[in-house]
Amino acid sequence: MSFRTRLTLALLTSALVPVVGFGVVALLVAGTGSDPAGSTLTRVLLLAVAVAVVFAVLLAAVLAADLSGPLRAIARSVERASAGDPSVELELPGDDELSRLAESHNRLARDLVRRNRELRRILEILESTTLGEPVDALVSRAAREACGAFGMIDCGLLLVDPREIPTEAPTPGEPVPVRSTLVAAGEVLGVAVGHLPATRRWDRADQDLFELFAIEISAAIRNAQLYAHVESQNRRLVELDEAKDDFLRGISHNLQTPLASIRGYAQQLAAESPDRRLGIITEQTDRLSRMVRQLLAVSRIESGALRPRQEVFAPAPRVRRTWEALGAADVAFTLEDRSAGWLAVADPDQLDQVLWAVLDNAVGYGGRTPVQALVATDGPGGRVTITVEDGGAGIAEADRERLFRRFARGAERPTGEGSGLGLYVSRELCRAMGGELELAPAGRAGTGAAFTISLPGEAPEES
Amino acid sequence: MLHGGPGSYGVTAPRILIVDDDPNLLVILAEQLSADGYDVQTARDGDEALRRLAASWPDLLIIDMLMPRMDGLTLAREVKARADLPIIVLSAIDTADSKADLLDEVAEDYVTKPYHYPELRARVTRVMRRLGDRVPRQRLELGANLALELHRREAIVAGATVSLTPTESRLLYALAANLGQTVTTETLLARGWADTENADPSYVWVTMRRLRQKVEVDANKPVHLLTVRGIGYRLASAATAREP
Repeated sequence: MSFRTRLTLALLTSALVPVVGFGVVALLVAGTGSDPAGSTLTRVLLLAVAVAVVFAVLLAAVLAADLSGPLRAIARSVERASAGDPSVELELPGDDELSRLAESHNRLARDLVRRNRELRRILEILESTTLGEPVDALVSRAAREACGAFGMIDCGLLLVDPREIPTEAPTPGEPVPVRSTLVAAGEVLGVAVGHLPATRRWDRADQDLFELFAIEISAAIRNAQLYAHVESQNRRLVELDEAKDDFLRGISHNLQTPLASIRGYAQQLAAESPDRRLGIITEQTDRLSRMVRQLLAVSRIESGALRPRQEVFAPAPRVRRTWEALGAADVAFTLEDRSAGWLAVADPDQLDQVLWAVLDNAVGYGGRTPVQALVATDGPGGRVTITVEDGGAGIAEADRERLFRRFARGAERPTGEGSGLGLYVSRELCRAMGGELELAPAGRAGTGAAFTISLPGEAPEES
Repeated sequence: MLHGGPGSYGVTAPRILIVDDDPNLLVILAEQLSADGYDVQTARDGDEALRRLAASWPDLLIIDMLMPRMDGLTLAREVKARADLPIIVLSAIDTADSKADLLDEVAEDYVTKPYHYPELRARVTRVMRRLGDRVPRQRLELGANLALELHRREAIVAGATVSLTPTESRLLYALAANLGQTVTTETLLARGWADTENADPSYVWVTMRRLRQKVEVDANKPVHLLTVRGIGYRLASAATAREP
């Protein structure tokens, strides 16, 4: 039963019960006599009651409609507001309870509109934060925009211990202080403070919204701080890397430059009057110079900065040249080329380093036994291989894995020479060139160690 | 641009200015190059080198990479800003160094310390010989899908930048200097591998095959890098490519 029906019934009841009661009593009194005047009075009375009933019903209906109309309007407006459109205001003139109810509703709707607007601006502030925005810029921008969003006179996001900022008590007639702590991931970052115009209301919902803003902006500030931290660490790492590069470059320069003069003079002297000792000087300067380069290579491998060039060349002549530069004239050397003209695609300088290490290894660990080198191709596989084998004791089972690690050194090498870096560096160089360096499985007794370098290759065909 | 200037090479001995802060190296290198018939001058640092350049231009500069005060890279840039002099950089660093790319932009070639004199001489000869192949330092447009920036060792293929190896750019240098004409395999071999003993024509074949994969949109239907079977190769711009 609707409010309107109940109101109508209530009005009818209050209006009709006395009339009908009075009519019934009058009828009973008139009914006891039997004079014609009495029966006329009875009819008049019945007519009057009937008229009164009709009037009462009409009046009740009109009154009920007048009372329930505004209520229904309010209900419709509340429904609209709850459906998301609080913008239409209710017009109920007058100063009665219903007008006041409408005014309350209108105020509620206006607050809703305002908070929606504030929330939207807060979201805009948060959305506009970009990765890499400096913390200071973010803080001052967010404060400025929050000022506008909440209609504050001033607003600041202070990244200090909140206890350093005393809490202000509101004074009537003075700007209203507003405050919220900035907390992100349980860590207090600072405090957001500001002032509202003295006339502005600041309700619980406004404070909630302001605190929501504080939480969200704290997260953004924390992200910006972390990002700045990571950035500065990255910059520092890059600087350190450059400093290390400069340092190594300097060391290399300072070692290689004197070696260049020593080598140059030795060769000049040798050209004037050949002397075996000058040859040794040249070979040993080369050895030293290669070790310097090996150390440089280690540093590059560690920083992932190996950048091999891809040149095309026949590997066999380089094997021979490297062997000759090694100066192991007392060790027998054979080079067999079964590559059918296949060319390697690799960095010649890096391959020189690898060949030098592998051949030097064969001389050092092979106990001056003959060294055999075989250059071959696997044809369809598109690879060129260089196998270097000595006739020494071979590699002990325990050493086979360890061999390619840094600073590893076979136990048998008697003189303790060598950096222990050769095979480690060589394998990394080979891999950087798209190739590999492997130790062949231990063969029958009496055969030494056999290392195979494999590199990308190309067939020698005109195209 | 300087070429044809003082000391024009071919008539008198080619002139080389060596810049290195190590006096021992200067002496030995000067003696070695003089013995091979070059007219050699030396400078101990970048400032001295620039003073000498103000007086007369050599045909080639050999510059040490690391020197006190002005380093080799800075000097090389200063020199290139004044004239397109060929430069060979002598340095203790190698091609894997992060600064090697910077060198590529200003130096025609470089030799690592301690240098092997025959190799250095071969490179000097090669750089000198390449003076005949005048390729503009700017971008060379060969059609919609190919442009070369050889001084940077780069090709721009259908909008994407492809880096070239020193040998590849040397071959393109020789081909571009004779644009549209056939360059023999022997010539290319001499240009690309002057300092390599036992270099074989197959080096050219394989390098051209790989180069084609880099610079042609479809390596199986080459438009720019054309084989003249049994003779050599020809670089064509897109407009001339259709001609037989």
